[in-house]
Amino acid sequence: MKTSYFVMLLFLSVAVVSLTAWDKPEKDDLPTTGDPTKSRAALGAMLKVLKHQRCMNCHPTDDRPRQGDDAHAHLFNVQRGTDNKGLAAMRCVACHQTENNKQSNVPGAPHWQLAPKSMGWMGLSDEQIAANLIDKSKNGNRSLDQLMEHMTRDPLVQWAWQPGEGRTVPPVSQKDFHEAVRTWIENGAVIK
Amino acid sequence: MQLTFEINNQSHTVEVPEDMPLLWVIRDVLRLKGTKFGCGQAMCGACTVQVDGDAIRSCSYAAKFAQGKKVTTIEALANEEKLHPVQQAWLDERVPQCGYCQPGFIMATKSLLEKIPNPSEDEINDNITNICRCGTYHRMRKAIHRAVELQQKSKL
Amino acid sequence: MNRRKFIIRATVGVGVTVGLGWLAKAPMRRALAKFADEVQGEYSGSEKAEVWFELTPQGELVLYSPKVEMGQGVLQAIAQLAAEELEIDWQKIIVKHASSAHGPLDSMSTGGSLSVSGLYNPLRTLAATFREMMRENAATLMNVSPDLVTFQNNSFVSGDQTITLAKLATQSKTWKKPKKEPKLKTRAQFKVIGKDLLRFDLLPKIKGEPMFGIDAAFPDMLYGSVVLPPVKDATFKSASAGSAASLPGVVKVVIEKNFAGVVATSRFAAEEAKKQIDVQWQMPEKLIQQTDLEALVKVGNGNPVSIQKEGNASGELKEGEIISAEFFSPFGVHAHIEPNGAVADYRTDGVTIRMSTQVVRITRDEVADALGLDKEKVNIEPMYLGGGFGRRLHTPHAIAAALLSKAVGKPVHMFWNRVEEFQNGFLRPATHNTLKAKLNKEGKIESIEHNTSSGDVAFTSPLFPKALYSLAGADFGAWRGAMVQYNIPNISTVSWRVQLPIETSWWRGLGLLANTFALESFIDDLASRANKDALAFRLQHLDDSERSMRMKNVLQAACTKAGWGKSLPDGHALGLACSVDVNTPVAHVAEVRIIENEIRVVRITCAIDPGLIVNPDGVRAQCEGAIVMSLSATLFEEVTIKDGKVTPNRLGYYAIAQLKDTPEIDVVLLSTGDSPRGVGEPPMGPTAAAIGNAVKKLTGTRLNRLPLKVLGQ
Repeated sequence: MKTSYFVMLLFLSVAVVSLTAWDKPEKDDLPTTGDPTKSRAALGAMLKVLKHQRCMNCHPTDDRPRQGDDAHAHLFNVQRGTDNKGLAAMRCVACHQTENNKQSNVPGAPHWQLAPKSMGWMGLSDEQIAANLIDKSKNGNRSLDQLMEHMTRDPLVQWAWQPGEGRTVPPVSQKDFHEAVRTWIENGAVIK
Repeated sequence: MQLTFEINNQSHTVEVPEDMPLLWVIRDVLRLKGTKFGCGQAMCGACTVQVDGDAIRSCSYAAKFAQGKKVTTIEALANEEKLHPVQQAWLDERVPQCGYCQPGFIMATKSLLEKIPNPSEDEINDNITNICRCGTYHRMRKAIHRAVELQQKSKL
Repeated sequence: MNRRKFIIRATVGVGVTVGLGWLAKAPMRRALAKFADEVQGEYSGSEKAEVWFELTPQGELVLYSPKVEMGQGVLQAIAQLAAEELEIDWQKIIVKHASSAHGPLDSMSTGGSLSVSGLYNPLRTLAATFREMMRENAATLMNVSPDLVTFQNNSFVSGDQTITLAKLATQSKTWKKPKKEPKLKTRAQFKVIGKDLLRFDLLPKIKGEPMFGIDAAFPDMLYGSVVLPPVKDATFKSASAGSAASLPGVVKVVIEKNFAGVVATSRFAAEEAKKQIDVQWQMPEKLIQQTDLEALVKVGNGNPVSIQKEGNASGELKEGEIISAEFFSPFGVHAHIEPNGAVADYRTDGVTIRMSTQVVRITRDEVADALGLDKEKVNIEPMYLGGGFGRRLHTPHAIAAALLSKAVGKPVHMFWNRVEEFQNGFLRPATHNTLKAKLNKEGKIESIEHNTSSGDVAFTSPLFPKALYSLAGADFGAWRGAMVQYNIPNISTVSWRVQLPIETSWWRGLGLLANTFALESFIDDLASRANKDALAFRLQHLDDSERSMRMKNVLQAACTKAGWGKSLPDGHALGLACSVDVNTPVAHVAEVRIIENEIRVVRITCAIDPGLIVNPDGVRAQCEGAIVMSLSATLFEEVTIKDGKVTPNRLGYYAIAQLKDTPEIDVVLLSTGDSPRGVGEPPMGPTAAAIGNAVKKLTGTRLNRLPLKVLGQ
């Protein structure tokens, strides 16, 4: 089973690599001042989080969430569905509520869902992930301010640091991640 | 907490700890025993009920989330005269063996057919993921197709 | 009839009860044989009078079943058996589980695929006897000769006189053994036996009616929970209540000499409080690891017992071209969906326990023993089981429930959670099989040797006193399915018993699945070596004895239905295997394809000859269920022991076949002979080998380890 996913990922990454153009943010959206070196360093810190397996699990480029540090396919054939919130009788909400469940240890957070496919990161290079973050056609039409808001305030994103018992957290603290996002954007949101 | 919600078209107010699984509110407080406990981890689906129409695994659903919602359990499906089409299909195909997991499957199927009235094989496979240890799946698949027919007939 | 004594007694106010005491207990040797291969209809019950039938003043005929319903449809089969001789509309017969206080009490268990075969003659005899008693009483009430009384529309009729069952119950003064010994119907006369009747328990199950162990309740009931050992082999030392006693809803923290638990006003409160109880465990010197167990389960380890010997296989297999193979199967769990538990009501005059158990008598005896009560003071009221599969042969939780109830003076409902089920279950033992054989010039098997190694199956069971181990020799649970069924000049089958440091036990079919996997995979390899078709090769090794003919018939029936030898879609292959268990031969043909290194079973065609069939649809359902459960074990299931913990310990991670994994299933029923044989377990046998044999056709590789995984997975 794992091999088949691996094969699929390879295929997808090849497909993505062949796409070279993306919708750049509006020019006046990007800060003109700032230190690209600082931005680049901050992006490095951010990527440690974004590429952490537990974050990646809900940012697939296909239609299946993953689980665990080993990124196994979500049990019971769970799928994206038309609204990123599951299939007809297998909605995310069938098991996941708006907070971690202390009895069942099923994780939960507000608006529990898969990241939209355009925000899928699996198999992407660092540069592609960064480019997609600021690409309005892919980031949910967010300005940089809105992107910062999303990455530092959205409760589902912040859940990464409160995942419940037995789940690993990203290698960068929540506070440092917020700081990195701010620094990255304030210094020009470089993508490489 | 004081939990007020609708269950099987009747409004109830009960005093329960807010984190008590909805399953125990249903089974032990309201004494509706058709919804089963299987794993307590949202894995097996024996505790499936509908909350506002969605199939929900009630063992992993804190009571507080049911506040003001509409909950449906297996007990509400049949009336004096007749079974729900999904139940009738289950009887026609003689699905149950031990029967323990069946209410969960019936609730999941009801929810599926309300959203997809004529599901494909893939849609059935992807949506009905409860566990039956007696292995009655073979008849369940037939019963799901039969339920589709029964529902179509009843609409004519 | 001369071996049996009928005891008839009237009970005040509830009509009549009929009981049956058996004079001679079956000798122990025969009891053993029952579990082995030669099961025939013989039911060994208690020697004292027990109530089987009850005619109520309302005219209901209640039949008390010593067998419990765990999905196999036994209560329906019992209703049909009784109705046949009672000549009463079967739907008028209310079948209930007998409680231990009321009886009849099964001397063994519900299990081993023995229920219908064991009850077939005794129950029909009882029913016919009771029919005649009713007829004679009706005749007396109508003042006519019994010969003139017929039973029509659920009443006794003679001329223009009618006696309803209610009238019969209330007006009969005495009940006597019938003057005329009733003659049982022959197969050709059956009207109810053999009919595809709709099981009476399906409608309430579909409606979600409370009928299972976990649904049982007493008024004013509290909820309990017990702390169980964290690792295998840890034993209870001591405990203190910690902060548990002061938590909301807690009634009492109960600390006994060998366990700690808590009783609360809700299950939620009990579960929350349990986490706070501070228990000291005596930990094992060394935590048990999987590698330790794997080293133990090896042919050559432990105690060998020869279970089949014809000719001189070991001598013949010393030289020449020897073909050999070995096979492995892992530990598994039952994964019954209703967890184990009990609801106990302890009072000064005794304790009543409602629960799911496959061993009503043993549960009663164990509770009586643990609480220092007379057996008569313990009443076990069996409920419908949310799955059995052998797991409910062990019921220590009944003792805990009784002690919790005693501690608080109120009924207590307690059930294990799923992690506790995994950790504290009795595992299906891992197995190792080795095989050797030699072909003759014509490509027939000249000699075959089969060695099996397994942890205990039957020997751990409370059903089986330790004193009988040496009498039985090998663990008949472990070697079920190991004997070579083919006609081969030299055969040797040896069962190696290893005692593992973890509890292993019965799991539907016992050793049948693992042993058949080994044997029938090997037979297919021998067929390829001999350049023969897998079906033809098997038929060639079966003679014209009745037993072999029945096997040939199921092989041919399964192959005909499955289209053996016909062309298949690209990438599909058929695999064949067969086995015999409790004298029921079964053959499966599995149609398999492999998609992205994943084995997908498209269809399984099964042919079975369980002898006389009481309810054909019931047999079909049992075959379908056994096929899915064994397919699940073939493709998915496995636990390992890590640091004394069963891993994984959650459903989902312990993968079980789901709807998406279920193939099309065709069942062909054959029915030879005049008595029923077992059905519940025999179809477990051939599944793994049939699938593995198809996989070998597709990949050229023999997979010798369950669960089957093709390379790259």
